[in-house]
Amino acid sequence: MIKILIAEDDPNIAKLVEATVAIGGYEGVVCANGTEAFEKMEHGNFDLVLLDVMLPGMSGFEIMQKRTNTQVPVIFITAKQELTDKVRGLRLGAEDYIVKPFEAMELLARIEVILRRVKRTENVYQYGDISVNVEEHTCKYAGKDIYLTPKEFEVLVFFIQHKDVAISRDRLLAAVWGFEYEGESRTIDIHIQQLRKKLNLREKLVTIPKLGYRLESAKE
Amino acid sequence: MRLWQKVFLYTLILVMLAVSMTSILLLKNSFSLALEQRKQNVYSEHEFVITSFKSMMITERLRQNAVVLDEESLKRFMEDTFGGGQKKSGIQFCNDGGRQVYANKDMHIPQGLLEAVQDTGRNYMQVEGYQLYIASSESMEGKTYFVVTENDIADVVEVHENMLHQILAISMGCAMAIAFILLIVVKMLLHPLQKINEGTRAIAQGSYEKRIPERGHDELSELAHNMNRMARAVEQNVRALEDVAENRKHFIDNLSHEMKTPLTSILGFSDLLQIKRDISEESRMEYAGIIKEEASRMRTLSGKLMELITVGEANLEWKEADMAQLFEEIGISLKVITDNHHMDFSCVSAPGTLCVDRELFKSLLYNLVDNAVKASEEGAYIQVEGHFEREEFCIRVTDEGVGIPEGEVEKITEAFYMVDKARGRASGGAGLGLALCSEIISLHQGSLQFESRLGEGTSVLIRMKGGKCHA
Repeated sequence: MIKILIAEDDPNIAKLVEATVAIGGYEGVVCANGTEAFEKMEHGNFDLVLLDVMLPGMSGFEIMQKRTNTQVPVIFITAKQELTDKVRGLRLGAEDYIVKPFEAMELLARIEVILRRVKRTENVYQYGDISVNVEEHTCKYAGKDIYLTPKEFEVLVFFIQHKDVAISRDRLLAAVWGFEYEGESRTIDIHIQQLRKKLNLREKLVTIPKLGYRLESAKE
Repeated sequence: MRLWQKVFLYTLILVMLAVSMTSILLLKNSFSLALEQRKQNVYSEHEFVITSFKSMMITERLRQNAVVLDEESLKRFMEDTFGGGQKKSGIQFCNDGGRQVYANKDMHIPQGLLEAVQDTGRNYMQVEGYQLYIASSESMEGKTYFVVTENDIADVVEVHENMLHQILAISMGCAMAIAFILLIVVKMLLHPLQKINEGTRAIAQGSYEKRIPERGHDELSELAHNMNRMARAVEQNVRALEDVAENRKHFIDNLSHEMKTPLTSILGFSDLLQIKRDISEESRMEYAGIIKEEASRMRTLSGKLMELITVGEANLEWKEADMAQLFEEIGISLKVITDNHHMDFSCVSAPGTLCVDRELFKSLLYNLVDNAVKASEEGAYIQVEGHFEREEFCIRVTDEGVGIPEGEVEKITEAFYMVDKARGRASGGAGLGLALCSEIISLHQGSLQFESRLGEGTSVLIRMKGGKCHA
């Protein structure tokens, strides 16, 4: 399981981030103190660090300057909105910079992008009878190969990565088609219908009124 | 034209005018003096010649044995007397008709000379060119003759002209020298002006810390001094404005941070509640609890913020208040809070009056006691005490709480500053209480002082002026 260090001094926000990364299936470890976070970054075995800038003991910027273990990707999560802070954070080697307040799905999406970049995501997903191999771009249902269009494939992977989470059409558009896509959300509905038909997901891939869709866990 | 050019040119022109006027006048004076002297000489010479001629004429008459010499023999006698040899001055005899009778050399009589002599009957002198002519009418041998002598005055005129040339050359030389010296002097005198000019330009362009050199004790150094005073005033004002802007920016930065922290939790947890499918009853309660807690934190923050913003703007009601009575009143409402935390509390003041705004004064004591409560454990003792020291009213709020670390005392009245963030948040503080207190105290023209020992407690001392003791 992927381990994420959450360096955040506000207990409620730390709890929020922990709950959010849990949705993505990651394990979060909370640390409320700068010096402690630095120690954990140096010696702990983490796949990603979510770092607040204003930490007691040692600020996020200081930690970035002093760290020697530069293998671990870092995302800054901070209330500091100014461009100079952003630039400084990125210059110090952070992979991304998220400004508070943020949406849960946005945080997850950014975490995924970083993990994919450093190749720490899984390549094979299993969901009920469906198995997906991201690298080979193949999908099997009950042992048989199913042909999916590239977009259908990406939509499926996104839903499997976010099981039990209601995903809005906008979020899906942004994640699969990219932010610049100006198509209608009807496009999504058509892709969902195709997926339901091809993979027999009518009961599992449910419509949430006024929000979007959700893929329910396969256990039950 | 630049000022130095003007000063230089005008001075140069005036000096040159004065010098040449003086020298020309002097020259003229000396020339007319010399001429006058020459005229005297010439005149006496003329008289002498005529007198000696007349006496010689008598001798001649005796020699010729004639009663009267006729014109012909007179002419011959003149020739004998004046002719021959190199004569310095010429002489001419004319009859009363103005016709030449005899002249020892060719000479030209200026026009109008004989007529003038004839009209007035006196001797006459006239200068023409380098010659001085003297004419007189003499009666000789029963007839009237005009005698004109011509005298050379070229030497006098030449001396005069030579001197004129010399003076011209000298004054040209002087002009050069004066111009050179003047240029240096003017440049030197106006040099500070240039410095002032450069300095003020630099100051105007924003280098407010620049100063103009002040040398000497003339008007320019005075000007420089005043310019510097102006620059100092401008610099102070700019610094003050920059400080205000810096403080405001700092305040807004802190404010946005303080707003965003609860906002992040509220938005985040409500987002989670919305998008997650299976949420256990336990986490649902927890999330809702956090949202409520953070929302109330924002309410506290906005309330305190409003109080802080309006404290300076509100219409204050300044009234003489009886301190003992006011402290008792406030003590009753504060006791509710301390009782909730099971703390010992006392609030008393010595009798006397102080001019205060009641609402602000209550808010001040409330905030200080609130801080004391937050810093203390259950069962601790909190004391609020007022007394008079001469003209000052002193309030002392003492607690047995955690105390303030050394070095942080100066910062604790800053807005949003919290010594212990975790503790401050846990007790629902916004970090604005002491900022509000110091604002209220400065409105009451008082001072705020902290005495604190880590782990033993804090004592806040406030002094306000204008108290009247009744004891």
